[in-house]
Amino acid sequence: MRSGSETFVKAAGLVGLAGLVVAFPGLASDPFVLSVGVVIISYAVLATAWNFVGGFTGYISLGHAAYSGLGGYATGLLILRADVNPWVALLLGGLVVAVLAVPVGIAALRVRGASFVIVSIALVLVLLLVFQSWESVTGGSDGLRVPRPFDADVLRPEQHQRFFHLHAVLLAVMLLCWWVIDRSRFGMGLKAIREDEDKARSLGVPTVRYKLAAFVVSAFFTALGGGLYALWFGFLDPIFQFSILVGSNMVLMSLLGGVRSLFGPLVGAVVVGYATEFFKAQYGDTQMHLVAMGVLLAVVVLFLPDGIIPAVRGLLARLRPGQASIREVTQEELAAEVRR
Amino acid sequence: MNGLRVAGLTKSFGGVRAVDEASVTFRHGRINALIGPNGSGKTTFFNCVTGMVKPDAGTVTYHGRDITGRGAHKIAHAGIGRSFQLCRVFPRLTAVENLLAAVRPGSVLRALAPARLKADVDRALALLTRVGIEHLADVEARDLSYGQQKLLELAGVLMADPETILLDEPAGGVNPALIERIGVLVRELNAEGRTFLIVEHNMDLVMSLSDHVVVFDRGRPIAEGPPDAVRADPVVLAAYLGG
Ligand SMILES: Nc1ncnc2c1ncn2[C@@H]1O[C@H](COP(=O)(O)OP(=O)(O)OP(=O)(O)O)[C@@H](O)[C@H]1O
Ligand SMILES: [Mg+2]
Repeated sequence: MRSGSETFVKAAGLVGLAGLVVAFPGLASDPFVLSVGVVIISYAVLATAWNFVGGFTGYISLGHAAYSGLGGYATGLLILRADVNPWVALLLGGLVVAVLAVPVGIAALRVRGASFVIVSIALVLVLLLVFQSWESVTGGSDGLRVPRPFDADVLRPEQHQRFFHLHAVLLAVMLLCWWVIDRSRFGMGLKAIREDEDKARSLGVPTVRYKLAAFVVSAFFTALGGGLYALWFGFLDPIFQFSILVGSNMVLMSLLGGVRSLFGPLVGAVVVGYATEFFKAQYGDTQMHLVAMGVLLAVVVLFLPDGIIPAVRGLLARLRPGQASIREVTQEELAAEVRR
Repeated sequence: MNGLRVAGLTKSFGGVRAVDEASVTFRHGRINALIGPNGSGKTTFFNCVTGMVKPDAGTVTYHGRDITGRGAHKIAHAGIGRSFQLCRVFPRLTAVENLLAAVRPGSVLRALAPARLKADVDRALALLTRVGIEHLADVEARDLSYGQQKLLELAGVLMADPETILLDEPAGGVNPALIERIGVLVRELNAEGRTFLIVEHNMDLVMSLSDHVVVFDRGRPIAEGPPDAVRADPVVLAAYLGG
């Protein structure tokens, strides 16, 4: 069904995208632009990680900051308190969070819909309190200074460049995993859960195990994203780490780009990240950028319910000559059905 | 002990005893019908048997194995498939994907194998052909008519290759021509060795199709036997007329 030219366009697009990501730090000579680039790609990492559970299973977690925050703190604390190599600490942090995600997932995934959203938020609030008050270990509300993994003679722009590329590598690994799951039997089972969980159960899909697996993978990658960000930023404050806003951003970006599309969260992160910086620059240090984001979200929900990527794809399909829409095909088939 | 046996099955919702100490044995290898007035507990009975809800009391055995309260997917793996009263399909998956979702991976590693393996797709297309909607294979289920969705649901159930199939009102809300087609399909599938247990209000279909009829009233069987005998049973008539 898929034509050769379509495959070619896709491959070319992929190569172009990769080229852009590799070249971006070189093109952006200004350290500020570079740091914005790191922030955006970090959001792309987090949103894509979120989408392993949100996109496949339809369980909307507003509390994924729990896993990015824990990943950041685990990385920082392993370096500071156990003198672990930063990169090993990052990986260990991810694994620790993945292990923690098993009991959390078993408990949280028992409830669906709005109840799951509430449960996911509750965890972030609990973690915020714990990390604020457990001063002796976490540094409390004063925050935690995370040592930089690169030597002091690596200058600021160079740091940004390296971290941009590290994030890009992590993002590429995640996209590959998402792609593999998307076309797998496991992925088909997850999508069935998203569509109708009880129906999926009745057909033999082991829903509990499947949801949990997706949840743990998502938490693992989210923690890696949080840890990498911590290494770059060098400072963790519980109020920003365990924030509903961070989780909401992952949801917003994924929904905006399209949760059913491989590149949806990435596209959403670029749009939201860029828009946020733009609005901040416009309105200065006020909360106006939040209002602007709210309007953007409303526009998306009203006009692009499936997100940007499906909307663009639909538009292209309609522009292509000789390509009937699915609806028309069904009508024809229905007519044929009647004649039979 | 061959086939499905249910003993003392009970399920309450608040004060309502939807299924009330129901004990039923079904004719394995045959087409069994389960009839009864609205609200007599037929769907709840199905839900208990297939693990969709946990019964409060009683046992369900299949080929002598106790499957009471097992997870729904385990009961599906044991060889019991079902359809839903208000036809349920995966709306945003295509017809062929609806079927592929019912493929059992077998192992963790094979769960990561592509869902569109040729053998699986071929089997799915063959089933879609069998129910007569192969031309809609790549259409999302939500774009199908209700009748087509019913056929798709049946094909999905068959994809899991169940030995025993529970259908909840297969003729509900579909036109007479399609009822005919579903009847023919059920008879063919039964001839191939699949046991059926069908909840149905369409008496013509029940009488023409079934070998054995169980009548439910207020959560328990009040009569059973061959269709003709059940139809003439005064107890059954009283249940339907008296409410
Ligand atoms: N989830 C539920 N919560 C509360 N009550 C329920 C639930 N499911 C069923 N009931 C009640 O249990 C009783 C039996 O319902 P059930 O759906 O099993 O009947 P039925 O025989 O399938 O009826 P119908 O022929 O109309 O489909 C009814 O009184 C119904 O209101
Ligand atoms: Mg019913």
